[in-house]
Amino acid sequence: MSNDKILSVDEIRATLKKMKAGVKKQPGLMKSTYRYLDAVSGYVERIANAKEEGAWVASHGTQQPLEILEAMDVRGVFNEFWGVVSDIARLESVPAAMSVSASLGTPGEVCSFFRNMDGLMHVGKWPRSDMFLYAASVCDNVKAFHTLGRRYGIPSFGLERSFLPYTAHAIEFWKNEYKRLIAFLEEQTGKKMDYDRLKDVVAKSYRLTELHLEIDKLVASVPCPLSPECFSATLVAIRCWPGTQYGIDFLTEVRDELQERVDKGIGAIENERFRVLWSTFTPFFDPTLMGFMQKKYGAVSVADMLSTWRVDENLQANWLLDPDDPLGNLAYRTVLAPGNCQYSTGVDVGTVLAGKCRRFKVDAAIFQNNWGCKTGAGYGPIIKDELMRQVKVPTLTLHSDILDHTFISRAEIESQMDSFFEMVEASKAYQERRAAA
Amino acid sequence: MNAPLKALNEMQRLTSPFPESVAVKEWKATTGRFVIGWYNPYVPEEIIHAAGMLPFEVTGDNEPVQMQGAEAHIYSNSCSKVRTCWQLGLDGKYDFLDGYVSTHMCDQDMRLHEVWSYYRKLPFMELIYAPRKRTEEAVQLYLKDLEGFRDRLSQYLICRIPDQHISKSIRLYNRGRVLMQRLYELRKRDRPPVTGAEAVEVSKAAARMPRERFNELMEQLLAEIQRTGREIKKARRLMLIGNDLHNTTQIEALESADAVVVVDEMDVGLRRAAGQVDTKLPPMEALARYYVMGRPVDKHTWNSDQRLELIGMLAEQYKVDGVVSQAVRFCTYLGWDKFDLKTQLQERGIPILELDLEYGHPGGAQMRIRAEAFMEMLESRAG
Repeated sequence: MSNDKILSVDEIRATLKKMKAGVKKQPGLMKSTYRYLDAVSGYVERIANAKEEGAWVASHGTQQPLEILEAMDVRGVFNEFWGVVSDIARLESVPAAMSVSASLGTPGEVCSFFRNMDGLMHVGKWPRSDMFLYAASVCDNVKAFHTLGRRYGIPSFGLERSFLPYTAHAIEFWKNEYKRLIAFLEEQTGKKMDYDRLKDVVAKSYRLTELHLEIDKLVASVPCPLSPECFSATLVAIRCWPGTQYGIDFLTEVRDELQERVDKGIGAIENERFRVLWSTFTPFFDPTLMGFMQKKYGAVSVADMLSTWRVDENLQANWLLDPDDPLGNLAYRTVLAPGNCQYSTGVDVGTVLAGKCRRFKVDAAIFQNNWGCKTGAGYGPIIKDELMRQVKVPTLTLHSDILDHTFISRAEIESQMDSFFEMVEASKAYQERRAAA
Repeated sequence: MNAPLKALNEMQRLTSPFPESVAVKEWKATTGRFVIGWYNPYVPEEIIHAAGMLPFEVTGDNEPVQMQGAEAHIYSNSCSKVRTCWQLGLDGKYDFLDGYVSTHMCDQDMRLHEVWSYYRKLPFMELIYAPRKRTEEAVQLYLKDLEGFRDRLSQYLICRIPDQHISKSIRLYNRGRVLMQRLYELRKRDRPPVTGAEAVEVSKAAARMPRERFNELMEQLLAEIQRTGREIKKARRLMLIGNDLHNTTQIEALESADAVVVVDEMDVGLRRAAGQVDTKLPPMEALARYYVMGRPVDKHTWNSDQRLELIGMLAEQYKVDGVVSQAVRFCTYLGWDKFDLKTQLQERGIPILELDLEYGHPGGAQMRIRAEAFMEMLESRAG
């Protein structure tokens, strides 16, 4: 079996560089598009150059305190993001890597973020990693980090936490797990944690949260100023660059451009017909789908679950409770952080998203039932029912694979969307919303 | 042909029809007390028992279940055990339950609990976290959740569940484990006294009737085996690993091919019988230690090295000719153990048959054909 289609780190780097050069010449895109691609590409460069720059590399799953890594010169490779960036660079890479994974006996029913990693590791195209880090979240697949660590001789550390993460004892436990993580990192790197540096990193991370929420307010405007090419900007900043000045500069630029567009009344498209919430993942497997939806249906993607902070009544996510307690702040941050809301009941997620529907004036939701995600399979129907009950927003359930574009064809998606948007437009709730607007 | 075991027949009579059985009806009629359904092995039955309630394991049984209704609430890309149980719930088969307790042992268990709460809420619902690590910190985390569970169950009962009651229940369940372990020991014999299907029926009964009665029947079963000298004469010895098989027709189909299952590595089997809760410790702490650290490592533990080790070790102790692995589709944990398990068994020279059936799938012709092919392969190795 040829592994030529599977992208190596260097091939991803080269492709992203070309894409960056390409967007400069492309008319009609948001100015921040270049910066967005620079953030993606810069993340890959940091990983690729880690060894020569004297930094360690930790491959990791979701819900990691990346600020701790940043403060210890450990560069993260977020395995989910690596799958997404592979799709951005070449759609054929992930299915080819997953074929390798299948050839090892890994079942096709486990999550493709991890099957992609499994395949890449086997063919030697996964970024060189000094350690694996993972956490109890809503993903049983994180067990793969231990499994692959055992197979390839890479040390691993898992963060445990209670399913009810909002209690005082759960947050205290989580904070203590961070202490144990630091001990593990100190052992692996031979370096002591500099807590003053950590405080600075944590403060920067909090600034990033504020910027994210400022952007949310702008994106909620009608018309929505955010175009699909920059839709994932906040997600990339929060998941790849927390605690860095680079992340702050990046989101500041995005925010300023959005403010300018709001002031001038510039929307992603001229006539918004539908405002869409992705009630779980966005369509990573098809990076052009959002653009297609805008063009064909006038459906603008305005919000998603993955980049949702748990906000208070003032739309703030104030997790910096005590600047002198960086670990306590980080423990609380995780509770409020994007993606963490999945670690809760479907009713709770539905309620958080219903709030977002109200603020973002959402007309329709799309729930991607990702083939390998058991959480989605279990709470998708409840979220769908709650969105209808609380805000009368109907949901299209799209049975798909988060990374694999061969799982469902564009024609099939189009056929489902044709009927769905027709139904939304004919609904009483939609007509009432439009009349009130 | 061996005569059926009278004690097992009585267990089966009491636990039929499934699930609202003779035992459940008698319990309700004679005590008027609650029946609490529990879903996975991190729910300590002892606490429910100490509250004077009947713990009842929520599972499927020997009949396959059509799951179309369940799939409206839990999509089909999820474990068929979860969907089976929810279908039974939707069909009203579990209407006799007063409560439902589960743990976050896996995402799907957790979501089943949630779906049950949302669409068919019972008077008492509880979810406990099942730690993925086997450390002192994990014991303390789990203990906190257990204390919360005890508090809420006490509140539901409007009566504090005292330590003494929990200690008494621990002793009762420990006794049951000792008796089940004896049956496992007997299965090490060249000619074991029970088939694998019978052994799982015994284990199922343990979680479906009052434990006092189960222990009595278990004593009778062991005495009966001793008295009759019962022996199963089959050519090949098998070990069953992976997800729980509650449909024992699957095991019967395997055993129809001149083989007997002499040991398993299932939650419904070996783990239910394994270890003892330490009666010298404060009872809640003892339970927490037992459930997190006191049983063989299972699939949900992140570090499954010891699970793989255990399987190899059991295969040698019980002198098995082959291992039959049953991983239900969409079981993430077993999915990630698969490659290393196979490699390890190959290194030990133990053949493996990967059945990977849907939960509750009947043990029909297809299964028999695969079992026969596996036996032929074992025979050719032996020859």
